[in-house]
Amino acid sequence: MKIGWFHLMPYRWLPDDFQEKYHGVWVDLPNALYDPERGHHLYNEYLDMLEYADQMGFDSVGVNEHHQNGYGMMPSPNLMAAALARRTSKAMILVLGNSIALYNPPTRVAEEFAMLDVISGGRLIAGFPVGTPMDVNYCYGQNPVTLRDKYHEAHDLIIKAWREREPFAFNGKYTKLRYVNIWPQPIQKPHPPIWIPGLSSVETWDFCAEHEYNYSYLSFTGYKRAKKMIDGYWERRAHHGLDQNPYSVAFFQQVCISDTDAECEREWWPHVDYFFNRCLHLYPGMTAPPGYLTEKSIRAAVVAQAGNQSGNLGTGKTWKELIDERYIIAGSPSTVRQQLEELAESLHCAHLQVAVQIGSSPLELTNRSTYLLATEVLPHLRPIFNEYEDRWWPKSLSETERAKPGSQNDAVRERVERPMEVTA
Amino acid sequence: MSTPSSRLLKLGSGRPSIEVLEAGDGEPLLFLHGAGGIAAWEGVLPLLSEKFHVHAPLLPGFGKSDGLDYLEDQFDLFFHGFDVIEALGLERPYVVGESFGGWMAAEMAALRPKEIGRLALAAPVGLWRDEAPVVDMFGMTITELVPFLFRDQSCLAAQRLLAVTQLFGDRDDRSDEQVEILLGMSRGFRTAAKFLFPIPERGLERRLSRITAPTLIVWGEQDRFISQSYAEIFRSNIKGAEVVKIPDSGHLIGLESPEPYASALIGFAA
Repeated sequence: MKIGWFHLMPYRWLPDDFQEKYHGVWVDLPNALYDPERGHHLYNEYLDMLEYADQMGFDSVGVNEHHQNGYGMMPSPNLMAAALARRTSKAMILVLGNSIALYNPPTRVAEEFAMLDVISGGRLIAGFPVGTPMDVNYCYGQNPVTLRDKYHEAHDLIIKAWREREPFAFNGKYTKLRYVNIWPQPIQKPHPPIWIPGLSSVETWDFCAEHEYNYSYLSFTGYKRAKKMIDGYWERRAHHGLDQNPYSVAFFQQVCISDTDAECEREWWPHVDYFFNRCLHLYPGMTAPPGYLTEKSIRAAVVAQAGNQSGNLGTGKTWKELIDERYIIAGSPSTVRQQLEELAESLHCAHLQVAVQIGSSPLELTNRSTYLLATEVLPHLRPIFNEYEDRWWPKSLSETERAKPGSQNDAVRERVERPMEVTA
Repeated sequence: MSTPSSRLLKLGSGRPSIEVLEAGDGEPLLFLHGAGGIAAWEGVLPLLSEKFHVHAPLLPGFGKSDGLDYLEDQFDLFFHGFDVIEALGLERPYVVGESFGGWMAAEMAALRPKEIGRLALAAPVGLWRDEAPVVDMFGMTITELVPFLFRDQSCLAAQRLLAVTQLFGDRDDRSDEQVEILLGMSRGFRTAAKFLFPIPERGLERRLSRITAPTLIVWGEQDRFISQSYAEIFRSNIKGAEVVKIPDSGHLIGLESPEPYASALIGFAA
């Protein structure tokens, strides 16, 4: 297995009366609530957490894209990834991802991802989300009915831009470019591995299977409730004649870990409560614009017994309920280990993305969790699925081939900073 | 209450098939429905069919009509309107459009002025002023939307819409019939969103002066969905246009105040 450390970067100071006072955390939450000076320290604290995860040996560090909200402060995940490319050295960099239908022209994504791949020495995993309705439709004004068509066109353009070695013309419905010829090109050939975050759209299973992309299921409702969706994906892969390689799936899971189960509740409940009851306080009027889901996906969601992509995101649940229903995995290292093993087996999933920073959790508590996971849990998870080849992982330059940030300055510093040779 | 006939109009291979509701004898009247479609032959429709031969085509996504993919942008939609007029064999018809359909009717009358005989626009969308934003029907729940559509939420049509909201949410006990109701509703809204999201304005204002058909603007005095101030912008940009305000009516005039509304439409054609 590979275990990545994923950050959502929530804003930490949503007020106590947040639920009563505001109808939602997204889209039209007044930005007067945001304090940029606090934000300065928070961004740096969050980047420190990601750098610590790299130091502790997590396989990847992950960031994602959201707009106009207090839940995740990364309208541009590429900026975060750029900072991480310089300040991390071992972990792969997962950008999950860029909502490619939003960029005009979408070659912008091909360029920025190529830059990240080159800067990081081929450590990039490129995520292509459709994006949540809040982000893409309500904040960025994309028409929900044509969104997926535009997404597919953007995808085709980006892939072609990465593969072609000569300029070409692209005459799309949404993008018309006479000369596509992007510089730089990614280190990874033909392009970085592509992961597709999915949630409620059943077409994503086929899209991933057709292109052999990783299907990344990003829910907050935990692995028990995700099983039906993941099983649907395995069925589609089989239908396409593909193997059941567990590395073709990534699963996102929130994890809290302390020395004991009891201590975990005491230390983590305020932050978990903050996440489920403030960060996930979504206004239902802006979660399902007409046309965002295809009729097939709506049918899958509304027919009797099919629903586990539930409207219930965990709001109002107790610590015990969240744990019993596995929205979160929380407790001592042995509890967490046992449940993560169960997760891997039941979903047949070899790429685990853990969210360790949750809601309002501060650096010390978060890093303690990171440390305990790395030392007490990861060694037990890593051997699982060893018999499979991971075809969805970056082919980076080896560590010795990669540039070491700052090393070139160090090598010449003495000569550069020598006294001037003054001739009389 | 009259019962309309329903038939399917095929516009050609790969193109939309359109369900058309028809009732009445007399001069032809083309009725273009709003974003809610035509839930029942009620309100203003039976009243109009006492005087006119009413043709009410349903846009793709509504009723049995399909082929939304064929209509890629708003001009495809407007030309689709002319395709329907031609397929129905109508010559310079009296076109009545409500809200979404009002916008479509106005755009058609501006695009091919000679092909529209007479025009009535009931609280049409299509214009925009920052100081009077049209309510975002795609950015709220149905329950929240209803008060913006009706002056009186106790009316039958409002109650019917609110009843549907019982089918939403986190539940898995819906009957097959209820599932189809939800899917039907989402199909219609999908069509509306394709042309109206996120702001229902696509440049109509600069085209309004091209309209030559005699034009009546109708607005409910209690319309909370689109400000009555838009009536004046339509009137002042369309030569000779008249405005009629309907007292005690919200946005969905045809459902809430059918009698005075029908009288105005009939009187305008007399």
